[in-house]
Amino acid sequence: MADRALYRLASVVTALVASCFLLFLAAPVGQLVSAAGARGLAELGSDPELRDALALTAVTATIATVAGVVGGTPIAYLIARYAFRGRALLAAVLDLPLLIPHPVAGIALLLALGRQSPIGNALLAAGFRISGSRAGIICAMLFVSAPLYLSAAREAFARVDPRYEAVARTLGDPAWRAFRRVTLPLATRGLVAAAVVMWARAVSEFGAIVVLTYNPKVVSVLSYDRFTSYGLPEALPVAAVLVLLALVPLTILRALRYERGAGDF
Amino acid sequence: MIECVSVEARVGAFSLRDVTFAVPSGGYGVVIGPAGSGKTTLLEVLGGVIRSTTGTIRLGGRDATRLAPEARRVGLVYQHAYLFPHLSVARNIVYGASGDAGAREIATRLGADRLWARDVQSLSGGERQLVALARALARRPDVLLLDEPFSALDPRRRAHVRREVRAIHRELGMTVLQVTHDFAEAGLLGDVAILLDGGRVLQHGAPDEVFRRPASPYIAEFLGAENVLAGTVMPCDDGGVAGEELAAGGGPGGGAAHASYRALEFRAAGTSLTIVAVGEADPGPGHAVIRAEEIVVSRAPGASSARNSFRGRVIDVATTGALTRVTVDVDGLPLVAALTTRSARELALAPGVDVYASFKAMAVHLC
Repeated sequence: MADRALYRLASVVTALVASCFLLFLAAPVGQLVSAAGARGLAELGSDPELRDALALTAVTATIATVAGVVGGTPIAYLIARYAFRGRALLAAVLDLPLLIPHPVAGIALLLALGRQSPIGNALLAAGFRISGSRAGIICAMLFVSAPLYLSAAREAFARVDPRYEAVARTLGDPAWRAFRRVTLPLATRGLVAAAVVMWARAVSEFGAIVVLTYNPKVVSVLSYDRFTSYGLPEALPVAAVLVLLALVPLTILRALRYERGAGDF
Repeated sequence: MIECVSVEARVGAFSLRDVTFAVPSGGYGVVIGPAGSGKTTLLEVLGGVIRSTTGTIRLGGRDATRLAPEARRVGLVYQHAYLFPHLSVARNIVYGASGDAGAREIATRLGADRLWARDVQSLSGGERQLVALARALARRPDVLLLDEPFSALDPRRRAHVRREVRAIHRELGMTVLQVTHDFAEAGLLGDVAILLDGGRVLQHGAPDEVFRRPASPYIAEFLGAENVLAGTVMPCDDGGVAGEELAAGGGPGGGAAHASYRALEFRAAGTSLTIVAVGEADPGPGHAVIRAEEIVVSRAPGASSARNSFRGRVIDVATTGALTRVTVDVDGLPLVAALTTRSARELALAPGVDVYASFKAMAVHLC
């Protein structure tokens, strides 16, 4: 009897703590959307700057995510599958952008890719400008959000037992084909989840972008710009519409993740 | 054939060390050993999944030491099957096969054809093993590596699948190496038995030889010999009797008498019991191994022509189906004999009953 009462008490306490946590996460977003969501959606029709910022954010975040997936997947696989000297150091270096304050990340990118840098200068000579351009936005997004993809992708590959691949190899598949036919499909669900997190982080990026490319404006920079220029009432609808629109692809991708059986191994 | 010469490999803190053995072309080898002895690692090294650090591996007559897994022409079946969960049973089976028809035929022979349209996730453990076997065999490999492939099958199906695998192995001329914990299976299937422990080959040879003549008391105990006695080996003056046994019954293990075998005596430590044996052991401290099934129990003396016959008292009778194990106390030494349950009933064996435990000199293996 005492055990049952204790179990009930523990259940109630756990439910309370979880509810408070959920409220803590949902309340600010809910408040923002309820305060300015409707106005933000209405302004979509009448505010071309907002529409452009939204489109720019979606496109640049998607390009950054695709670049992260293409470049990061082999690295994540390498770290997850092979034990080599310096693996821990490589993994730590790849996590490093997560620890750097984002404006500092923007400054670092500016130093590496700006007009004063050899790379930036060479690119400029070739007619390709990084700072103050869409490419700068993509670079900033990629730099700050790719470590999230790499980390989650590493876990996704690590969850696939290497013996599946071993069996595929003994069944005649060279390494690349075994990866394509077995490992990749089994890790897909984790990789999609990793890409979603990366995309979401790229969409929300502000600090690094504002240093590298103030104009053209992504939504986060536009929201900041309106806040500093016109005050909170003008900034709120921009922020609210970003939240509402980001919710759509996030929900779709999460639903795909939970509904599909593939990858649940 | 499968030939390993001084093969070494490392997986984390575990190492395979100086592994040397050979399974002849078209032969069936069995690997036995305790958990963690490196049995699965050995198969993975042969399959090329784990690279050996030193030594030579020859598969089907060619040096495969540095070959990639896909170039070795091996089939690898893990105990846990590792069916590709994103593919159907049919697509698993045809995965490495050159044609669907051949794959389907193998599946039919193993009884996996009825699972053809099923989803992998819905299979039981035994069904998974069937499909994994069919998948490996469908590729018709030169060498088949099996890691306890029948462990999840029910006894009836196990017997059927074992027969079919043996038949396919003969038809295709494959060389097979199978890991098993089942000593009966090892004796039933194997042409060569390899005993592995701590990453080393302790003994290898014909299964009957390994079971009857274990190289050490540890091996004897691992292989299930109930009577492993410590004591002293001494020369025997009365070589004639043992010699008669040799002449009558052939050499140890039923083979031809070995010229170097001689009669020996073994005195069990802590008792006055002296056992007559035949073997090659050097005089001095050693162990005598007597398999339980070699000991005859009778109520009267002289019921057997065996050289060793000792009076004792039954202290335990344990019946498992058709077999009964009787423990007889002989001068403080417990000897375990295996009888048919029917014989044990006829002899009315029960704790406290006085009996004679007899066994031939040739049944005693000294190591």
